[in-house]
Amino acid sequence: MRATKITKPPYPRPSPIRPNFRHNTLPVLLDSSYTMDNEVPLPPPPRIRHRSPTKTPGSSLRKTYQLSRFDDRSSQPSSDPALFSSDDIPASGLENYHAPVASGNRKRRYRGTWWGEMVKDPKRKRADFKEKRHVDSGVWMGSDESGADSLLPSEASHWGEELLRDTTNLVMGKGGDLPMPDYSEGQTQSQVWAQRPGLRKAAEPREHQVARTIVNDCLERGQDSVDLSNGHLGFVPAGLLRPLQHLTKLPAIVEAPITEDGYGSLQPFLRLFLAGNSLQKISGELFELDSLRVLSLRSNEIREIPPAIRRLTMLQEANFAVNSLQFLPWELLWLIRKGDLKHMVVRPNPLMQIEDAEVAQWHTPEGTERESPEDSLRLREYEGPAPEEAWAPIHVATGPVRRYNTEGFPVGGPVDSTDKSQRDANVPSLREVSLLSCTRSALFDQLSDAETSEFPPLIVRLLRQAREVRDGGGRSCSVCHRSFVIARTEWIEWWDCSTYENGLKGPRCPGEKLRPLPFRRLGCSWTCVPSQTSQQDQVIPN
Amino acid sequence: MASQPSQSEYVTLVSGDGFEYVIPRSTACVSGTIRRMLEPSSQFSEAITGRCVLENISGVVLEKVCEYFCFNEKNKKQMNVPDMDIPPELCLELLMAADYLDT
Repeated sequence: MRATKITKPPYPRPSPIRPNFRHNTLPVLLDSSYTMDNEVPLPPPPRIRHRSPTKTPGSSLRKTYQLSRFDDRSSQPSSDPALFSSDDIPASGLENYHAPVASGNRKRRYRGTWWGEMVKDPKRKRADFKEKRHVDSGVWMGSDESGADSLLPSEASHWGEELLRDTTNLVMGKGGDLPMPDYSEGQTQSQVWAQRPGLRKAAEPREHQVARTIVNDCLERGQDSVDLSNGHLGFVPAGLLRPLQHLTKLPAIVEAPITEDGYGSLQPFLRLFLAGNSLQKISGELFELDSLRVLSLRSNEIREIPPAIRRLTMLQEANFAVNSLQFLPWELLWLIRKGDLKHMVVRPNPLMQIEDAEVAQWHTPEGTERESPEDSLRLREYEGPAPEEAWAPIHVATGPVRRYNTEGFPVGGPVDSTDKSQRDANVPSLREVSLLSCTRSALFDQLSDAETSEFPPLIVRLLRQAREVRDGGGRSCSVCHRSFVIARTEWIEWWDCSTYENGLKGPRCPGEKLRPLPFRRLGCSWTCVPSQTSQQDQVIPN
Repeated sequence: MASQPSQSEYVTLVSGDGFEYVIPRSTACVSGTIRRMLEPSSQFSEAITGRCVLENISGVVLEKVCEYFCFNEKNKKQMNVPDMDIPPELCLELLMAADYLDT
């Protein structure tokens, strides 16, 4: 019998008294542990007792080792099948770590029943072993592939090599005592590794490595301007931007005549340039950089800016030009009005034009409704110093509200009354509640596509949507600020932000034609609608 | 006359593994599926007995579903709805149940 390394305890060599003790306890333990082996002879106690410590170091060690193994077994529950293999390399123990590794030939000498009857003949034929191995001893052998599969990677790294050598010797080795060639060992090893896909780590693309190097470099030098532009990034790899949260500037150490430059602020003025890549979506990681001041995503392929951009409350300058944006998130407008955003470049983009869009309501700064769109699209005439409204964003119009059902499909036409009484409440649906819980749980990451393929297609769609929302940094209702996954309402608000588009260089001229931008708002329930529409809705008794 | 006992105030929801939950009828009708089951005009046995056996929902999940029904009923008229706690290990099964119950 041999023990694999992993279960081998770093026992000290037994003192001369110990064999006696073991002699008494041994048969009982064996019986209770391995009831299947009733017919196999028990170890002859005299041999153990008469072992003299003056033997050769190698064999003595082997002996004591067997015994200590035995002790170890006894302390474990009998129901647990032990990981046994039939070979024991004495040199591999912790006791004599520096001893030379035994060769293949030497190992084979000691194969046999594992508790005592050592085979001393080194020339024993392999065929003899084969016959022995037909008897199911209930002992796990190295050739059991399924056992190797179930092991943890950390365990495997410890004993995998040893196990595989045994495997190749026992299963593949047909040439008797010939040592196995190295290449076959490697093959077996690679097969076992291949069964565990989690262990294979794909090499990171070169552009990602370059990007990580740049980020690390900035972190090392305390440089708060991170330039990842023209880096051929198809997406922002996970973990690339997160370290920038902790970027700290280093004080500039200047020679003796200290100038004004030496007294710069150490608060990082974080600037991130991702221009000229081929990003299609923005990962939520970007929005964790809450100290970000300047963000450039110019010249990418972004179709939508996630609403989570609202978290970048320090943002002062943003550039989204040359993308595939049809609308902007409402939260960007919030950053202009309540946040710090002063310069926002959004053109050119294939933005919706108010001339082509359906408009439900036109607005004026006074809040009164005007009939003709031309009035709304023109700034009021003023004289003298520019009033505040010549600077501020102006709400020009509101588009119609589109409603979605709990599955996320658009609902057309008027809502029927039974549905309304049930669904008009702003309580999230159970789907919504559980999806939101999904996005917040860590298990969601481990859910593979293979697992989800067994689910109903509708659920797969919802889960995919939830994952997208989660990757984009989450959504929160633009009316009640509750987090949600499936939008129940959606509408476009048209705001003119031309002063912010040119970086607040000057007010609008009197009577200037407004060029409103589309901002999309999302609501989490059917009561989360534009304020005036909701008032109309509330007239209807529920 | 036969439909009268079905108009009782409470209905019983039975899970696949035999757990029974007695909840107010209006609360259970948050679910479209259960509402249609209990429709008095339909001659479903559920409508007559007021007992809905939901074979494919386990007791643990159905308990959470009932909790949601009450949560929904309670917060229907409120503006600020608190979040409901869902244990992460249940959320996938709850999603399935939500799909089945149409809620």
